[in-house]
Amino acid sequence: MLLTTSEIQKLIEESIPGASVEVADLTGTSDHFDIRVSSAAFAGKSRIEQHKMVQAALGEHLTTTIHAVQIKTQVPE
Amino acid sequence: MWTPENIKKTVTDNRIVLFVKGTKEQPMCGFSHRAIQVMNMVGEPFEVVNIFDDPAIRPALIEFSNWPTTPQLFVDGELIGGSDIVLEMYESGELQTKIAAGSGADSAPGNDS
Repeated sequence: MLLTTSEIQKLIEESIPGASVEVADLTGTSDHFDIRVSSAAFAGKSRIEQHKMVQAALGEHLTTTIHAVQIKTQVPE
Repeated sequence: MWTPENIKKTVTDNRIVLFVKGTKEQPMCGFSHRAIQVMNMVGEPFEVVNIFDDPAIRPALIEFSNWPTTPQLFVDGELIGGSDIVLEMYESGELQTKIAAGSGADSAPGNDS
């Protein structure tokens, strides 16, 4: 089952408490997404670790219904 | 037959390795294409492994790096990231700094201490 942008947003917000999440459907086909996440939980972590936290939130969806994501993470100022 | 040990050997024997879909000349995915372009701009020689060369490469790579997608860039045996991170680090200059630092300075800056 394909996920909507708001479902993806919810998955990430539930997985990374306090995260501010923006999701865009890049192709209108619910399988290519642009995901931007800002969270204090990223502080002190490498980009790899930050991206892994976002990937973990998406779990199996990332290897099934989602074909591609571009992820941008940041620690809020 | 590729195993995680082969991946480890590849990223140890070659200082800069990019795992992609397709080849340097003919990338078969936009993200792989972007990563190759960035590495071409960096200008340092890099090894490319086409994950389509052998169906065992992709699962071995994912198991080794615990990273689900392609492309994957390794420098000095360390996973740097996929195309988003590679581009972001190129734009900020971090990637060039890391690559210019040479294989002697391969410890990641202070994540574990």
